[in-house]
Amino acid sequence: MKNSIAIIIAILILIISFLAFTNTPLIVKGYSAFKGGFSETIGPMLRLIAKPTDLVRYIFNSYINLVGAKRENAELKKRLDAFVLENQKIPDLERENKRLRTLLNFMEKNPRSMIAARVVGEDLKNWYKCIIIDKGSTSNIKEKMPVITPRGIVGQAVEVDRWHSKVMVINDTNSSVDVSAEGKNTRGLLEGTGQTVLKLKYVLKNDDIEIGDKLLTSGKDGIYPKGLPAGIVITVNRNKPGIFADIDIMPFSNFKHLEEVLVIKKQ
Amino acid sequence: MKIAIYTFIGLLLLLVESSLLSFVPAEIFKPDLGVPLIIYTSLFLGPQAGVITTLFIGLMQEGLSAAPHGSILFVKVAIFLITIFLKRKLYIDSKYSFAFVCSGFVVLESFLLITLSLLARGEARNALNILFYTIPNAVFTGFIGIFIFSFIEYLNARYLDRE
Repeated sequence: MKNSIAIIIAILILIISFLAFTNTPLIVKGYSAFKGGFSETIGPMLRLIAKPTDLVRYIFNSYINLVGAKRENAELKKRLDAFVLENQKIPDLERENKRLRTLLNFMEKNPRSMIAARVVGEDLKNWYKCIIIDKGSTSNIKEKMPVITPRGIVGQAVEVDRWHSKVMVINDTNSSVDVSAEGKNTRGLLEGTGQTVLKLKYVLKNDDIEIGDKLLTSGKDGIYPKGLPAGIVITVNRNKPGIFADIDIMPFSNFKHLEEVLVIKKQ
Repeated sequence: MKIAIYTFIGLLLLLVESSLLSFVPAEIFKPDLGVPLIIYTSLFLGPQAGVITTLFIGLMQEGLSAAPHGSILFVKVAIFLITIFLKRKLYIDSKYSFAFVCSGFVVLESFLLITLSLLARGEARNALNILFYTIPNAVFTGFIGIFIFSFIEYLNARYLDRE
């Protein structure tokens, strides 16, 4: 009897989640509220987990690279390890300092108000490309706010909870950005492929675009402000059938190595 | 008691995975740590335990992913139901057979999601991307499943079955 109840509950959850997936208005509202309530707890837990994983990050970034180094003897090895670990903190700190200084300069140069955030997590599924940042609605972050680094655009906030936000990265298959080639009139849609390389769509074969052209946001998609660097053209194939060229783009930001990002506040 | 512990372990593993993935360059190998726990609880603790674990893990995975509303929970509940209905057909006698079953369910999960996207929304944009990662995810989940099974069995033998 109890087993049958569990199965009936499971079937009910299955139906509700299906209706939520198909955006049935009545269900999706309640489901979002329920999921939002559950997600509220994730932010603080991620921050808590981020503390020990920072140590793992430190070990991963520094100590692993030392494997293979020769040591003269056991005593010296211990001391050397200690010194090396101690010394490695300095370049790490210098790098962090440099990164943060670049962010600060960038924020000062750009009059728009920005919110600096730290990346605390990544999408559990490699089917979707998303990062989780440690700022949420308490820091005035709202959905569809663009997220950038000084190097270029990263994505847009898609789900905002009180303590953290999910940012859909531009290489997600659901992402599209309206871009134009720097110094040219060529415009197109930069679409994610789920891989590192992006595709520039709807550019005519006779449009003026070449390998090495820098793409900037056009500001016409209502999400990203005009003039933010998006990527660089790496291949242009005009030999395929149809009226549009097949263009590959390498984004400026490396989404696997993001530590801090900036969220542009919308007025 | 066991349900609470296993669910807690599952949620903790998912949080650690999400946090670690933000700097470990493991794009192609993202194990689904929820699947082994759902299968384990459904098979060894019964449907009641299974449905609780499935609900929490499904919601947590959705909370840590940009997946559309309901998609991951749907797939996870489907896996739970299939596990329950195939209970007598699934013969798990070791950590390796458990790992094999986990890998199989990860492949099934990918196909379920593609089918769901195609039938419910008519979307096929992400299908190739999902297919691309299916096999690496299945292999890696199976590999991690060996350790999860061993760890849970160790917990059972050392602490939980003593009560």
